[in-house]
Amino acid sequence: MAFLARGRGAGVNVEIGDEIPSFRMERVTPERMKTVAAIFRDPFPVHWDREATRAMGFDGRLLNQSPINLGYVINMLIAWAGPACLRRVRTEFPKPVFDGDGVSAGGRVVALAEEGGRRVAECECWLDRDDGERSVVVRAWVEVPGNVD
Amino acid sequence: MIPDEGEMRALVGHRFPGGQYRIEHWENFLLSEATGVAPLPDALAHPAHLFHVAINGVGTSITELFALAGAAPGAPVSIDWYDWRIEAPLREDETYLLEGGIEAHERSEAGAARVVDSFVYEIAIANENGEPVARVGFRWHFWRAAGGPA
Repeated sequence: MAFLARGRGAGVNVEIGDEIPSFRMERVTPERMKTVAAIFRDPFPVHWDREATRAMGFDGRLLNQSPINLGYVINMLIAWAGPACLRRVRTEFPKPVFDGDGVSAGGRVVALAEEGGRRVAECECWLDRDDGERSVVVRAWVEVPGNVD
Repeated sequence: MIPDEGEMRALVGHRFPGGQYRIEHWENFLLSEATGVAPLPDALAHPAHLFHVAINGVGTSITELFALAGAAPGAPVSIDWYDWRIEAPLREDETYLLEGGIEAHERSEAGAARVVDSFVYEIAIANENGEPVARVGFRWHFWRAAGGPA
């Protein structure tokens, strides 16, 4: 289980162009998908029934839940900027993540602004499968320490 | 069978019953673990909760959303986007108040023999004092013929 750095990654000197330290999920497992399906009360069988995904042309591989794919990106942002840093996340899901995939989240700061006395970093982030496919594209607004110059 | 387009369009403006949700420690623990991390400090809930807290807390369910959209059993459904605006972090063992509904519908064609109905849902989350906590927007595609997005 990864350890969250409690937001010690983003110092007061956040600048446009800064790279956000990545988050890695070595292997997406069907067991976790089943747990999440139960929590969400999600009857969609693509998360737990290989016959269903075979019928849909996904070769019997289970599809990870989208909020969990986004969750890997959120873990990266929280480790960088703190557990209550998120102000907004706008997310698109161009490709699914399957059981057995390894995925890596990455991101960078593209803008800084002052909003209601808070310093907010606009970040473009992503989640890539190990085969190089981009599964998640995120535009995130994250509160960071410091003042806007 | 492809649902009547007018019936689908008429769902715009549909309001969910509204309701409450309270995130318990066990589900925060399990959902955090499912994303690969330990629970956050100070009883903060993982932000990924915004998805199911919004749907289940507003008095609907994934099952009902599929049924409203006329999704055939086993038919593909895919996510287009989420837009989550967060005023305050979610916490365990706090009661949240929710309201929301269906904001938009669009029917499109995606290749041969495929019709797609896309719905935008918007759900507001407030704390017990009525102060805004988050607005959860998302858009789903319902694929009406065999096959789905690759």
